[in-house]
Parts: sequence; structure tokens; C-alpha cells
Amino acid sequence: MNYSAAVFATIGLLFLLAIAWLAFSGTRRKTEAVRTGGRERECPHISHFPQIKQALANADFIYLRDQGYPALAKRIRKERRRIALNYLACLRVEFEKLLHLARMVAVMSPHVAVAQEVQGFRLNLEFTYRYYLIYFRLVSGVAPLEAIGNLSNLVSALMVRMETAVSELGAQAALGAESLPHNGGGLDAGG
Amino acid sequence: MQLALCGILVTFAHFRRLPFFTAYIALNVAQGVLLFVVYQHYDPYSQAAFLAGWWSEAITLLARLFATVEILHLVLSPYRGIWGLAWRVVAGTSAVMLIFVVGASQGDPGRALMHADRGFNLIFATALISCLALIRYYSIRVENAYKALLIGFCFYACVKILLSTFLYGFLHGQHLQYAAIWQIVSVTPYLLILLFWSVALAHPLPKRREQQSILPTSVYQRISPEINLQLQAINKQLMNFFNIKEEPQQ
Repeated sequence: MNYSAAVFATIGLLFLLAIAWLAFSGTRRKTEAVRTGGRERECPHISHFPQIKQALANADFIYLRDQGYPALAKRIRKERRRIALNYLACLRVEFEKLLHLARMVAVMSPHVAVAQEVQGFRLNLEFTYRYYLIYFRLVSGVAPLEAIGNLSNLVSALMVRMETAVSELGAQAALGAESLPHNGGGLDAGG
Repeated sequence: MQLALCGILVTFAHFRRLPFFTAYIALNVAQGVLLFVVYQHYDPYSQAAFLAGWWSEAITLLARLFATVEILHLVLSPYRGIWGLAWRVVAGTSAVMLIFVVGASQGDPGRALMHADRGFNLIFATALISCLALIRYYSIRVENAYKALLIGFCFYACVKILLSTFLYGFLHGQHLQYAAIWQIVSVTPYLLILLFWSVALAHPLPKRREQQSILPTSVYQRISPEINLQLQAINKQLMNFFNIKEEPQQ
């Protein structure tokens, strides 16, 4: 088989996989939406990071270790990592809320700019990549918690600004939102 | 099977909502009849059979294109902005794939028609997958019947790409039963799709949805860049995750 045929065959197979994914991923999305909904309930307000940070301060950990409680220190370290991971997941929920809002506005608009949408899509990909990068670094225990604090402050500020912007849309948007597609939509929506 | 599907389209009056799709199925029936008659009177490897085969194929491919656009329009027309975006995405991806197809299909002029057919299917599948991805990205609701039609078209185009690549590449001119093998292997997935479509269309179609675009364009122009800036800021922050600096409170 020559090079060209190999390329066409690979593309054909990849497309078949893409169709399968597009056709059957709706169910997974619904599950994800339900899970995200649960997560949303778990993180009612992500701006409590200063308190979380205080509770996870290095000083406590060092103190316990110095006082001769290595087992307790280890347990706390585990707990600390788990909380950091949960917090990162909450940040993701907030990011997805912003993205969802962007899509809602696009779906409701009579004219959509390709550049804006492409940028939103690219940012989503970037975020996903970085999120998992940080996630794995947190799991391996090399990420500093202060960085999450900075993120938290930023996302909280953004959410406040977005809420203000959305409230400006007024009753017209609120009325339209009721008829909008949501996470339960997509290619699996009819099923 | 095609006649059964035609019967379903008429019985449930789907031809009113899906005139191009109905025409596509009818043209396929006509193509089958035409080729049957031609093969009865001419040698399957004659010039007449060759011309009849490829011209009828070109017409059905064109009909398939129109049928697909019709279904996409039914799905996306309530979302004017997304419909406009979909058109531009289709045009962009098709142009890129056309360049690729022309570049990758150089060589044996005897295979030009087969390459053109494969190229068409590749461009068609790319455009359709782009649209399906767009629909999923924006969580746009797609009714079961339309979903079945779109997936069926896309699946068949992919199968044709693979058949043109593997079957034609390996067996053409090397196997005596090539024509028979080609018929069986290419007709079987088509029959499966017809069955899939028949099941999906054996119900009344859902009512047409109203226009969903209710926001003035100015709102999009104002909100969308704002959201993107904010998403960008979060990303920048994530990028600097391991390089912490004191940042002013926003």
C-alpha cells in the first residue's frame, strides 16, 4: 500500500471513530452534566480559598512533623492534596460555566463571529490541557497551593463581572434561556 | 429496501419536509434500474456501461449533498448565528480537504474517477463531521430522525473512502471476481443504512422548531469578547501555575 492510500485509510478509520463518538457521547455528556451539577452543589462558593489555604498552611504540617507525629503529618498531607484537587475541580466548574454562557449567547444570537468562537474553542482546549497538567502535578505532589489561591481570586472576580454583564441582558435573555438547549442536548438529545 | 424507504417517505408524508432526501432515495432507485437495464444490453466493462455508471453516480452524489444540506438546515435553521457559522466551517474544512485530496491523489490517470469519488466522499465526510461536532459543541438538540439520517450519510461516506482505498487498491485488476466482491462489499453497508433510516423514519417527524435567535447582535458583540478575555485570563493564570507571583486582587 502506498503512502497516499495509508493516509486515506487512516483518515477513514479516524472518521468512523469520530462518528461513533459523536453519535454515542450524548449519554456520557448527560452523566457528566449530572456529575457537574453535583460538583456545583459541592462548591457553592469557590472564593473561600483564603480559609482553605489557612487550614492547609505549611506551618501546621511542619509543626506536626517537628513534634514527632510523622503519621499524622502524612495523613494531613494526603488530606491537603485531596482538598486541593477538589478545589481545582471547582475552578473547572466555574470555567465551564463561563464557557456555557458564551455558547448560550452564541446560540441565541442572529450573527456569530467565527474568530470569537474559534478563540473560545481554543481557550477551552488550552484550559483542558493545563487543567490536566496541573491535576497530575498535584497528584504527584509538586504543585504549590498558593497558585490555586491566585486562580481562585481571578475566577471569582471574573464570575462577578460576568454575572453583572448577564444581568444587563434583561428579561429578554431570561425568557430566551428557557427555550435554550442545555447540557442534555446535543446529538443524543432526541434519544 | 430502497422502495420500502420510499414507501415510508410517502406514507408518513416525509417527502414534504424532506424533498431532497426523498429525491436522493428516488434517484438511487432510478440508478439501480438504469444500471440493471444497461448491464442487460451491454458488457459491464463497455464504454456505455462505464459512462452510465459514473454519470449516474455523479448525479446521486450531488443529490446526497443536497439532501444533507437540507437536513442540516432543518436542524440548524432555528439558530441563525450557528447556521451561518456552520456554513463558514463547512466551506473552510472543504477547501482544506480539497487541497489535500488534489495533492494526495496525483498519479495514475486511469484511477482518476475512483480518486475523484474517494475525494468527494472525504470532503463530504469532513464537512459533515465538522457540522456534527459544531452541533455537539453548542449542545444543539437534534431529533432522532435527523440524527439517524446525518449519521447514516457520514458512515456511508467513510465506508466508501475505506472501500475505495482498500478494495480498489488491492483487488482492482488482480482479482477476477473484483466486480462481484465490490458489489457485495459496497452494497451491504448501504442496505444496513437503508434499514437504519427506515426504522428512524417510520414515525411522524417532530414539529419544526421556532427561531431561537432572540438576542440583538450587539449583545453577542459585547459579551462574547468579554467572556473570551476572561477565559484567556484564567488560562494565563493556569499557565503561570508553577511560577507564582503576587497578583493584585481584581
